[in-house]
Amino acid sequence: MSDPALSAAREPDPFGSPTPALEARGLVREFAGFPAVDGIDFQLGVGRLLTVVGPNGAGKTTLLRILAGGLRPTKGHVLLDGKAVDVGDREWRRRIGVVSHQGFLYGQLTAAENLEFYGRLFGLSDLAERVPERLAAVGLEDRSRSVVRTLSRGMRQRLALARALLHDPEVVLLDEPYTGLDAHAAAVLNGVLASLKDGCRTVVLVTHNLGQGLELADRVAIQVGGRFRWIDDRDRVDGATFEAFYRNVVEERA
Amino acid sequence: MPRDRLQRTGVALAALGTLGAVLLLWMVFFWVPTERTLGIAQRIFYVHVPSAWIAFFAFGIVALCSGVYLWLRDERLDMAALAAAEGGMVFCTIMLLTGPLWARVSWGTWWTWEPRLVLTLLLWFVYFSYFLVRNATENPDQGKRFAAVVGIVGVLDIPLIHVSVTWMRSLHPQPVVLRSDGPALDPDMLITLMVGLATATTLFLGLFLMRYTVECLKREVDQRRTGAQAAQGA
Amino acid sequence: MDYLRVIWTVARKDLLIEMRTRERIAAMGAFVVLVGVLFNYSIDTAIVRPQEIAPGIIWMTIILGGLLGIGRTFHLEEEDGAFSGVLQAPIPLDALYLGKTAANLVILCLVTVLIFLVFGVFFGLSFGSHPFVLLAVVFLALLGFVGLTTLFSAMSARTTMGESLLPVLVFPLLVPMVIFGVSATSRLFAGRPLSEVAGSVRMLGAFAILSVGAGAMLFRHVVEE
Repeated sequence: MSDPALSAAREPDPFGSPTPALEARGLVREFAGFPAVDGIDFQLGVGRLLTVVGPNGAGKTTLLRILAGGLRPTKGHVLLDGKAVDVGDREWRRRIGVVSHQGFLYGQLTAAENLEFYGRLFGLSDLAERVPERLAAVGLEDRSRSVVRTLSRGMRQRLALARALLHDPEVVLLDEPYTGLDAHAAAVLNGVLASLKDGCRTVVLVTHNLGQGLELADRVAIQVGGRFRWIDDRDRVDGATFEAFYRNVVEERA
Repeated sequence: MPRDRLQRTGVALAALGTLGAVLLLWMVFFWVPTERTLGIAQRIFYVHVPSAWIAFFAFGIVALCSGVYLWLRDERLDMAALAAAEGGMVFCTIMLLTGPLWARVSWGTWWTWEPRLVLTLLLWFVYFSYFLVRNATENPDQGKRFAAVVGIVGVLDIPLIHVSVTWMRSLHPQPVVLRSDGPALDPDMLITLMVGLATATTLFLGLFLMRYTVECLKREVDQRRTGAQAAQGA
Repeated sequence: MDYLRVIWTVARKDLLIEMRTRERIAAMGAFVVLVGVLFNYSIDTAIVRPQEIAPGIIWMTIILGGLLGIGRTFHLEEEDGAFSGVLQAPIPLDALYLGKTAANLVILCLVTVLIFLVFGVFFGLSFGSHPFVLLAVVFLALLGFVGLTTLFSAMSARTTMGESLLPVLVFPLLVPMVIFGVSATSRLFAGRPLSEVAGSVRMLGAFAILSVGAGAMLFRHVVEE
């Protein structure tokens, strides 16, 4: 508890707007009495990107699922623009986009049909223009009529990105987005992350790989054993110290 | 109510129920007169009917607690539903075992499509699936919700099943009919039946409270164990 | 309006996938035709007339064939986690349930038409002189059946036991459907007066409302993580 990094976790975001776009307050989620997420607090201003690093089993995916409104926290709240939201809140879902290592795509539908299906579920009305535009943005304009099953892995990953961002979510949550990406898809992903920041989207990126997503981050956190052991602004963190601290907490845990 | 008091109440009720059971057995075997047409086998009636009553009463508790559990997500409601389901299933099994014994002696057949018997058999299977789904998930919370859904759908469908099996029977009358509107019970028989009902209810409530406190303790132990593991790992 | 749009979008997507793969239709179709063949050899026609027990066999075939296909409703969704994506969408979950139920109902109706055709030809059945009443009976019974099985297939797909759990969960609850469905079809086949069928139709209607209503109400608790 004497660690200086921990005290930083309580400080408000100095650059954020007065009301953070996304806030977690005392999140706890237990599975059969075991706390997968064990008291997480953070605030994230509009247009900021938080990268959460942690080893496998640190509860990162659970945290993301709570933030996405898919999982009810045992204790604590998620606040969006300062308002607490509850599981099943449809307005929350409309404003959030989730990218995961799974694509959420239907293999038997074409690329365009997948986007149209999700677009209709999100109640989008301009699908005739939006779908071709988004397919072009990820370089799939000539494959729109191909059944997803026949697309290469990299193409499917790009299509999954287009699907997750189809409704222009204000808050984007990414769960290990780099896992298994080919070079092209990773480049598209980096481009997307950069454009999300330009477009003032609030982003939370979760990964177990220290090397990924750090360069774009505004804030970085280390999650081990369901807690943030470190959270600070990216430009106040020196890479070597961060890495040493990370190795230290992970080893101490192992 | 604190758990200790619940537990003490449960033990007291169960002890009372056990005493009642002894009294009931004495009354059934030595006190109550033998029914003229149905003969000695009719004496099983004093165990059979109270068991059936408890089987359905307990399922009512299961469904009620399940419904409120899905709404409020309070663990205590799930534990109450579980405790009621276990007790209910025991009495349901007793009813299903005593029914065919009676049928064999009175009607000359082990099984008959008597609507109440069929209904209880189906109820037994609803209880069975209640426990099956509860233990068939990796996430225990999901199992609790699934079990609650089974309980609610069951309680909605059971009246309809009752109507349909009764209606079915009116189409195919059985050779031997036990009429529910038959001659009024002899007062001694009525007293014995009332003692049977009171005994079964007391016993069920006692077992229910005891099972509930055991489940409380079990979950606390589980929680402490995972907590200790987490602390060890940290 | 929004609600109906979700139901339609979900049902259309399921039917589109079914049209592309024909997985469930093919399995169920082959199943029911083969049951017809086995049924023919499972009775001694010198002693029992197939026409007399055909309604019962038809309903049992619908139930077993239906479970075969509808039990797989949510397996199609699990591939690539598509269903988690659907759950991320801002839609009412009861509309999602109704959409999937509607798609299953269409598929099962097609299979049921096949059952009636095949059994009619195989055993020379006469379907009576009230085709619309027969349609109503079949439709209501199927609606009730699909309502329950869609709910419970969502549940069984999320258990470690999978589809083997489904019959245990739904068979006890299907007793009203079997009793009133068989009674109504037998009487219609035998050309009995409509007044003998009216009660069964009402009970099948109650069964359908109950099962679809319970499904819509409880589905969100089943798919919650």
